[in-house]
Amino acid sequence: MKKYFYIIKTQIIKTMTYEFNVYGNIIMQTIIMITSAYFWKALYRNQDNVGGVDADSMLTYIIISSLLSVLLITNVEKRIEQSVIKGTVATDMMRPINVFGGYFAEDIGSIIALFFQNMLPIFIIGSIFIKVPKMADITALPLFIISVVESFLINWLIAALFGMIAFTAINIDALIQVKKHLLRLLSGSIIPVWFFPEKVANVLEVLPFVYIYQLPLSIYIGKGDRADQIRGMEIQFVWLVILAAIFLYAQKRATRKVMVQGG
Amino acid sequence: MISVENLSKDYLLKKKAPGLSGALKGLVKRKYEEIHAVKDLSFHIDEGEIVGFIGPNGAGKSTTIKMMAGILTPTSGNVFINGEDITKHRKEVVRNIGVVFGQRSQLNWDLRLGESFELLKHIYQIKQKDYEATLDVMDEILGIRELLDKPVRQMSLGQRVKGDLVAAMLHSPKVLFLDEPTIGLDVSSKFALRTFIKEINKIKKTTVILTTHDLGDIEELCERLIIINHGVMMEDGNLSQIVDRIAPYKTLVVEYYDDIAPEHVRCEMIEHEGNIAKYKFMKQETTAAEIIADLSKEKNIKDVSIEEAGIDDIIKIAYGA
Repeated sequence: MKKYFYIIKTQIIKTMTYEFNVYGNIIMQTIIMITSAYFWKALYRNQDNVGGVDADSMLTYIIISSLLSVLLITNVEKRIEQSVIKGTVATDMMRPINVFGGYFAEDIGSIIALFFQNMLPIFIIGSIFIKVPKMADITALPLFIISVVESFLINWLIAALFGMIAFTAINIDALIQVKKHLLRLLSGSIIPVWFFPEKVANVLEVLPFVYIYQLPLSIYIGKGDRADQIRGMEIQFVWLVILAAIFLYAQKRATRKVMVQGG
Repeated sequence: MISVENLSKDYLLKKKAPGLSGALKGLVKRKYEEIHAVKDLSFHIDEGEIVGFIGPNGAGKSTTIKMMAGILTPTSGNVFINGEDITKHRKEVVRNIGVVFGQRSQLNWDLRLGESFELLKHIYQIKQKDYEATLDVMDEILGIRELLDKPVRQMSLGQRVKGDLVAAMLHSPKVLFLDEPTIGLDVSSKFALRTFIKEINKIKKTTVILTTHDLGDIEELCERLIIINHGVMMEDGNLSQIVDRIAPYKTLVVEYYDDIAPEHVRCEMIEHEGNIAKYKFMKQETTAAEIIADLSKEKNIKDVSIEEAGIDDIIKIAYGA
């Protein structure tokens, strides 16, 4: 276990190396956040309440969504792709650690660095320019934290499964982009799926994506009663188990297919 | 120490017609060609040996090394290191292995060299005492301590290769694989690297397996050579044995005072130009001294020299060039 902690530590140092990248990320997130805020303000002009959510809660929703999107940055698929393209995957394979365990530790390290570099600034910007995103019901905090941890894991597992494709396909740039944008749309990170036609929403609620963003965000803004939230978390947990099982099955096979490019 | 049994690796290579139209066709219809990179390779390496893996580009050297290091999974065959199957116990076996690729680094571009080492120290769970001891040894041979605070991205190639060597040796592996370690290095860096290999082989009894195109590396380091071409083993033995087998002859060059050169029964005159004649003779049949003695009875000899097949000739012959 200690070695993985050290990988996390090293990754924090690495992430801090290029400060300039940080500012870019903050600016991008701020733009998305403020644009969405105006969008929702406009939509809510003649309505107090849509699907049991008022305008104020919706603003909280998008600020927290912006913060979550920092937490839910995964580098694993890019990481695998780059090391396969450059051939450095050989280095990853020759160390006495679980290859994916190493990638996971690296992602955790990046997120810890980004927590201070990105999340705090975005939180402050959101609080000043939009509103202070207070939690609707503070007793739901444990639920919220657990659901965020689970959504992080679900998100990471999906990314890792995508990354495995790179072991054989080598270049998966386009696929990563498709996945990223599809995820944004289907997870309710920008538009909650309760705004979608009912049939679409029903389908999406069976898929794992809404449990990445929408579930923890709903808990945060207090949408639905406690029973709804618990039921959502049960489905989230089932998805976590399913994806973990697929991941464990696939990882051994994927590493066997590794292509090491170059002489 | 290391046993390789019937090792083979096949690749499916996407076959594309050249040019843009070829690339477009390739999107619709794909043809695959099966490449046999390594074919049925078997050999055994003992502890403390330094073995040179040589062969032309694309012969399957690197593929073999990667399979031996557990990075590539063989299509068929087995590699045992210390009696353990590398594909079955990768995590355990790699503790006994160090790998350096001359063309790629395992050091972290964004970190200082020392930070990369610290990371490896934790990954391999090396005790602080052992870590310092290894660094001391490495410092003596390569002068590595003065580089510890330097970011890897600011290092010269020579410094980076030194760093890579130390990184591969930190966990004191029993086997060190070096894939073209001297590629692109200047004379003094090459010298340092060769000294390093000889020293760790002597001090730590590390078994070293290296691929190289550098004749100096082979002459100075390798007690044993394995020559492969087209994925097949061509030769396996020590340098002088291979020379004797592939080129069991020497060439005697004799300079006379005039243009007439006598023949000799036990050798063949292969060249005669002006007052210089070249005689090729089999090492087992006769000696240069004998031929010179016989020839000097017939004519006055001004000067003699002996040409022996060098390692580059051997390689040319073995590669079939």
